[in-house]
Amino acid sequence: MDEVELMEGLFPEVLFEVLGVPVRDTVVSTWFMILVIAWVVYVLGRRKPEALEMLVGFVKDIVSGVMGRPVEPYLSLLGSLTIFIAVANAFGAVPVFISPTRDINTPAALALVVFFSVHYFGIRERGLGYLKSLANPLETISQLSRTLSLTLRLFGNVISTELITAVVVSLVPLIAPLLFIAFSMFTGVLQAYIFTVLAAVYIDAAVASHEISPPSAA
Amino acid sequence: MDSATIVTLVTIVVSAFTILFGTMVPALVEGKAVLKALDGMIRQPEVADQLRATLLIAMALLESTAIYVLLICLVLIFANPLALSLF
Repeated sequence: MDEVELMEGLFPEVLFEVLGVPVRDTVVSTWFMILVIAWVVYVLGRRKPEALEMLVGFVKDIVSGVMGRPVEPYLSLLGSLTIFIAVANAFGAVPVFISPTRDINTPAALALVVFFSVHYFGIRERGLGYLKSLANPLETISQLSRTLSLTLRLFGNVISTELITAVVVSLVPLIAPLLFIAFSMFTGVLQAYIFTVLAAVYIDAAVASHEISPPSAA
Repeated sequence: MDSATIVTLVTIVVSAFTILFGTMVPALVEGKAVLKALDGMIRQPEVADQLRATLLIAMALLESTAIYVLLICLVLIFANPLALSLF
């Protein structure tokens, strides 16, 4: 396989334009992924609602192990992040489809969602005094670097496994890519777990109030 | 040798050394983390699940620095505006 074709397949390409806005192939893949998730949830809701309850309970276990507080207000955001990232990363394993997270814009968008939701939850729980904690310049830098690291971690994992799979396919097209595709699905789900746990930790840090609890009588 | 060739040569050598050290250090440190976590699991099997969860999160965070190095090397090799195209 020609190396130029190999590398060209890794960069996102524009498919068509809507009202002057270019639409990439990863965006179309995201739309298709939304339809697939909605269809699967609808079918599971009809046939086996216990599967959906198990899924929600699973996400709740993951998150409540990290946050030391009731998790319900944040569960919709964190569960959506988990499901979106896990399905998006696994999508690339199917032959014709491409992972939406392969383009850096998708992980950047998800990290920005986490960034703004952290501040939203902080202000909602602690009032505007929460913004005083950002006066420390070290805190602002750490917020920005957290967002950047979330983006790069997710994007870097997906693009590196795709690149290695592409190289292996160009060398040994027959059986070896299956191993790499299986490994990429594993790392995809793992990265979804990591993203969710880190988002939960950041929200927890923003929402935690720094009151010193009075000594309780034994 | 004109300047574009020199830049390409230096890019290749630098990216090779970058990926060499950039993956060696996180791998060594992750190995140490696994050793300590396994020691803890041997000593106290009842907290093994919490140790495993903490270990997994810590390894992903350590791995992310290696991913940053890989991204820089990919950019240097494939999307370098200054060097000659390597393909």
